Amino acid sequence: MNKKIGFTCAYTPVPLIEAAGFSPFRIFPETKAPDQSGHLLHDNLCPHVKKVLDRALADDLPDLEGMVFINSCDAMRRLADAWHDARPNDKIALLDLPSGVNSLSLNFLSKEYERLAKMLFEWNDTDFSEEIIKDKINTWNHLAGVVKEIEGTMSNGYFPGYASGLQHIINTVATDLTNTALLMAQEYAQPKALASKGRVPVYIFGNLLFDPKVYDLFEDYNIHVTASDFCTSSRFITPIDSKADENIFTSMAISYLSQTPCARTMDTTLPGSIAQRIVEQAKMSHAKGVIGFTLKFCDPYLARIPMIRQALQKESIPFLMLEGDCTTGSMGQQQTRIEAFTEMLGV
Amino acid sequence: MMYEHFDNAVKGISKTLEQDPEGIHARKKYVLGLSKLGKKLYTKDENIAWCGVTAPFDLLSAMGVTSCFVEFVGAMLAATQTAGFFFEEAEDSGFATDSCAYHRAVMGAVLKNAMPEPDFIIGTSSPCTAGLAIVENFAKQYKKDFFILNIPQNYTKDTINYLAAQIEEMTHFVSDHTQRPLSKKKLSLALENFNTCSGIIKDIYELAKTKPSPVDNKILKDFGTVVALLMGTQEGIDICQAFKDELSHRIATSQHLASKEHIRLMWIQNRIQYPFPINEMLDDLGAKVVVDELNNVTWELMDPDNPFESIAKRMISIPFSMNTSERIKTMKNLATDYQIDGAINPCHWGCRQGTGARGLISKGFKDINVPVLNLEIDCVDSRNLAKGQIETRVEAFIEMLS
Ligand code: SF4
Ligand code: SF4
Repeated sequence: MNKKIGFTCAYTPVPLIEAAGFSPFRIFPETKAPDQSGHLLHDNLCPHVKKVLDRALADDLPDLEGMVFINSCDAMRRLADAWHDARPNDKIALLDLPSGVNSLSLNFLSKEYERLAKMLFEWNDTDFSEEIIKDKINTWNHLAGVVKEIEGTMSNGYFPGYASGLQHIINTVATDLTNTALLMAQEYAQPKALASKGRVPVYIFGNLLFDPKVYDLFEDYNIHVTASDFCTSSRFITPIDSKADENIFTSMAISYLSQTPCARTMDTTLPGSIAQRIVEQAKMSHAKGVIGFTLKFCDPYLARIPMIRQALQKESIPFLMLEGDCTTGSMGQQQTRIEAFTEMLGV
Repeated sequence: MMYEHFDNAVKGISKTLEQDPEGIHARKKYVLGLSKLGKKLYTKDENIAWCGVTAPFDLLSAMGVTSCFVEFVGAMLAATQTAGFFFEEAEDSGFATDSCAYHRAVMGAVLKNAMPEPDFIIGTSSPCTAGLAIVENFAKQYKKDFFILNIPQNYTKDTINYLAAQIEEMTHFVSDHTQRPLSKKKLSLALENFNTCSGIIKDIYELAKTKPSPVDNKILKDFGTVVALLMGTQEGIDICQAFKDELSHRIATSQHLASKEHIRLMWIQNRIQYPFPINEMLDDLGAKVVVDELNNVTWELMDPDNPFESIAKRMISIPFSMNTSERIKTMKNLATDYQIDGAINPCHWGCRQGTGARGLISKGFKDINVPVLNLEIDCVDSRNLAKGQIETRVEAFIEMLS
């Protein structure tokens, strides 16, 4: 059994972790650990960061060889700071992640990924090998391809339970191995049941929605999730275009910075492009409405909601905005609002 | 509205200064300098850039650009008690009440067309993600070109080179908009001015360390962050010199000995921006803020032969940009140098960057036996201010230190 490397952010290149001989372990903010993180940081941080820290403080984690943090937002920076205190014996890598995409950023991120790769190989006392990295990238890309296929099927028809199954596969690659997830995905690509009718097609987006049960709840609330954009959904499995550059780390940087559209990364040539992208994705997936789901206190998303709302309004796409704390319980509290929304959309 | 405010301030302060040409009046000269900048920002024929807090204002002024960080306007709106109207506008448009009120105020002003339209926008990833998100909103709203300076947290050769290259690229971006190339001569002069200011500011801080300190609770309020807007200019030098003269004069005339200073305090991050008599209250209690965390020179002198690298190093060295343990190390040094008895940390509602580190900061101070008062307060939005509660906590804290 490989030793595990913990991580929290979708910009973490899992193939590097696997190439160094580790298993990835994405720490989801799901825990029964007591709420203590506010003492070490502050209560007004997103529940993602707080619950991950609660897990660290309560030792609600498997054995970890080290942690990879990405400097993606202030809350994440503070989590990295607190980790030193909560688990002083962990090896820690903190990567600086540029906010805009240009040649300087790509070059810099490429170096950051290279630094991470070397560090990981060193942590496992293994010789650095670009060949192994490329091999892991191939499997990763293969999985990304199958996941895309599954998403295509999801947009084109409603198959009960299909969305939660996909989330289960994505969670597997985040907490187990790419190969295991790939086998599951291949098995899953063809829906077992026939397409059903009668649900309202809705596109959903936001920061974190990782619990497969939430997708089942959506179906109970009369929703057919046509596509989703979360940092815990398929955009976490960013395909790495190995041909983008002859340097593998630059290829990785190009792929992640241009294809992982978290709200914290901006296209400076098109300020507010996140709003347009959401409109396009909603349309492409044939959704009749859009639900945004963000965690409380998440600055990157909350600051973009007004522009997203405006862009959807302009296209006459109905929009429901929900704020919560990652749990199915919090989704349950929104049941009435969601059902009123789908009712308004009709079938 | 803001133009009138700055214009009135310029006229009023100029008149006072004319009446007493021999007087030092450091704080007045400083407010005058800032009001003149404010006036220019609201003047049509200037090249205007709205920026993030840590942008290189010396370099921008050398390029003939009138620039300012957007949070400055948020603070001004709070200080003039006009922010409420703009908060409501921003909130009605969907900006969350959980967000930083510096940004909510200024976003409301943008939506109400009460902000001058910039020629372009320069965002900085430090101090905060929220700040970067808000200037992206600006760029979208004004349909203006947008440049980001990514300020890495790690201080290494690679990160310095990366930021230096971005700063150089920024100069091309600016030139493209102003049609003026960067003049090496002007940049060298701005950096020399910056260095002169840094030297004087260090002297100011040395004087502030005197026990009892010649500062009062207001004189250096938010000085370190805001004076950066002026440091590349001769005016900046004159203002810094006035502060140095003022503190030296207070010591020479023994005024500092007469001040009540039973308790020496550090103020963490920013002060409260709206009228709230905390300074007077501290005066009454015999407590004095002898140092603000951000009143600190953390950089080396700028090297005019390596301007971009020097500026990059400076930007990464600002406590906002650092990780919390580095920041705490810097605060602990200040605590020792200034011989403080306690610290006040206003945990500004909505600030993930600074407030987010509340517990770690308290813990850090505990190591050196310095008590910290964490005040849960919004430093910009006074609508939910629990005045009595804050006062009681401050009183109890000072009593405990006494
Ligand atoms: S992006 Fe949002 S949800 Fe993710 S860590 Fe940052 S604040 Fe939390
Ligand atoms: S108070 Fe915090 S969130 Fe607000 S502008 Fe300053 S660093 Fe950013």
